[in-house]
Amino acid sequence: MKNFQASALRTSFQIVAGIFFTAIITLMMYPIREFLGSQIVALIFLLPVLFSVYFLGLLPAIITSVTSFLCLNYFFIPPYYSFLVHKGQDFVTLLVFLLISVFTSQLIDKARKGTQLARQHEMEATSLYQLLLALSAKADTGSIAGTVAEHTLRTIPCSRVEVNLNSSKAIPTVVINKSVNTTDGGSSYLFTYPMLSSRSDEGILKVWSDHPVLSGDEDRLLSMYAAQGAQALERSRLMAVETHAHILEETDQAKSTLLASVSHELRSPLAVIKASVSSLRSGLVEWDSEARQDLLSSIEEETDHLNFLVGNLLDMSRIEAGALTLHKKWNSLLEIANVSLQHMQKVLEPFRVEVGISSDLPLVYTDFILMDQVYTNLLSNSVKFASPGSRISLLAYPEEENVHAIVENEGPGVPEEDLDRIFEKFHQLHKNDRVMGTGLGLSICKGIVSSHGGKIWAENLQKGFAFHFTLPARPAGESPHIPVEGEDE
Amino acid sequence: MNKDPLILIIDDEPQILRALKTILTARHFQVEMASTGEEGIALAAATLPQVIILDLTLPDMDGIKVCEEIRSWSKVPIIILSVRDGEVDKVAALDKGADDYLTKPFGIEELLARIRVALRHSQQTIGNLSSIVRVGGLSIDLVNYSVTQNGEAIHLTATEFKLLAYLASNADKVLTHRSILIHVWGDADADHIEYLRVFIGNLRKKLETDPDQPAVICTEPGIGYRFITGE
Repeated sequence: MKNFQASALRTSFQIVAGIFFTAIITLMMYPIREFLGSQIVALIFLLPVLFSVYFLGLLPAIITSVTSFLCLNYFFIPPYYSFLVHKGQDFVTLLVFLLISVFTSQLIDKARKGTQLARQHEMEATSLYQLLLALSAKADTGSIAGTVAEHTLRTIPCSRVEVNLNSSKAIPTVVINKSVNTTDGGSSYLFTYPMLSSRSDEGILKVWSDHPVLSGDEDRLLSMYAAQGAQALERSRLMAVETHAHILEETDQAKSTLLASVSHELRSPLAVIKASVSSLRSGLVEWDSEARQDLLSSIEEETDHLNFLVGNLLDMSRIEAGALTLHKKWNSLLEIANVSLQHMQKVLEPFRVEVGISSDLPLVYTDFILMDQVYTNLLSNSVKFASPGSRISLLAYPEEENVHAIVENEGPGVPEEDLDRIFEKFHQLHKNDRVMGTGLGLSICKGIVSSHGGKIWAENLQKGFAFHFTLPARPAGESPHIPVEGEDE
Repeated sequence: MNKDPLILIIDDEPQILRALKTILTARHFQVEMASTGEEGIALAAATLPQVIILDLTLPDMDGIKVCEEIRSWSKVPIIILSVRDGEVDKVAALDKGADDYLTKPFGIEELLARIRVALRHSQQTIGNLSSIVRVGGLSIDLVNYSVTQNGEAIHLTATEFKLLAYLASNADKVLTHRSILIHVWGDADADHIEYLRVFIGNLRKKLETDPDQPAVICTEPGIGYRFITGE
């Protein structure tokens, strides 16, 4: 109702404007009417008519035409101040004026409307294009819904836009209000557009407008917005499904590789244990005490190795699951290295181990057990590749905010292009029987060092191979406070 | 009164029970076995064992609870068994009154050493603590505050001596970081492991023949320290 009143008011204003312009022209020409002659006056009277049709619309233009016609007749065609016409020439002038003015009005109006429509279509097309462009850059449902709502609010005069999503549990609705103060309900009218894609119902686009009816164009644009939004939502959903499937497939692949490699590696120590124990039990051979000791110690070594493997597996699964909890404390790297050396004692026996870690090295904020696992893995890797009798050295020195640790051995190098890849899961460079492993050790080291905020890398030396890793010595700018005491206390 | 010491084993794994019973019986111990926490507590009260070996993962209740329960009425030494990743539980149990721990899998010599230390400490609480601790050439006089290495005096700061004295008077027994920190620095510093890292490092430099391969003050990863006499 309100809407209708407003439009009536606007039309009456336009009619008055047309008449007003006619009156001005009349007043201007009135003093010089004798000089101009009726034909020229008639031509000049076309001006308000053209003005009206161009700026005000067809109805005001027709009314202006009639008014101009009457003014022309009354004020400018003799006898003045009457609607009578004496001369046949004047009669023709009047008639032609009326015809031209009405006819031109209609023509111009049509052209004007055509232009207007074209511009509107262009704007629609542009806004739709902008929406599509914006949507193509969005991948998650939340931002797609947000983009649709934003574009709707920008192009359609409305106070509030809401997008309800069917598929997303995390973000079921996205709401945008024109202004913060907008109170929904009350005078607002709600229009809903289902967001349907070719295969599914993605959600609903809700628009609150102050007008009870939307124009045909607005309605069409909103339907298109809803449809485009639905397609983008469907695309994003399908993409998520595909990614998930891909991840599952990869995980599955990784798990079967792990399983194959683990069962292989677990079996070899088991085989040694089984063989040794059954030999010792069998009554067929009388074992001398040296051979007996040998068998027994190999059983013990293999048991320790099995235990180490199980520890690695556990760490790996935790790193994979993101469930690695660090019990970080201030620790001395020297102490960690010494503990690792101690329980690797048996395996390291054939090697010359050198420790070059100063006891004055800054403390590092680490998980003792996990860093022990890092050293154990690096040492076990060194033992695997280096030949017995060679040197294995553990070094560490402070470096800016970090402590830089090195484990060096005299084993063979690795092709430069593989230096990074050895820290990937299941990566084994030497596929010969001697050094088969799960390929887990180094990737565990990487997982542990990274979760401490450090870096790990490998380097080929002139004569040997080195593992490097860094650990932050001052996490968050903090260093440990150690109480100082006087010597004579 | 020449009776073999009685050991109560609380563990839910029958293979472990079987193996331990066989081994410990052969080493002249009497063995009682329980496979649940409740049964274990009941047996501990009924048989009054000299040492309890307690697995931390039990089917019916938390091993730490069992430890607390038994400790509330008995001073019997408790040795806990746990897996490598159970550091938090181990420390909790030790702080709740357990005396020592072993990480599965363990060597039997290790277990026997722990049992011996436990028995020795339970006897010491009855008798008197000896005032001088000797390890190799190292001699620590807990009463006169002096430390000598092969007869030569070693100068320690007051804190270093306090730390060493606490470790030495609990020789061969594991001490958690927390208990050492509380004893040497006080309750307020109970979590400042960094003090230990530095002061233990200093002690090792002064006492150990090879500070890089400590043989006297041993690091127990994630748990604390142990003063080794090698007895």
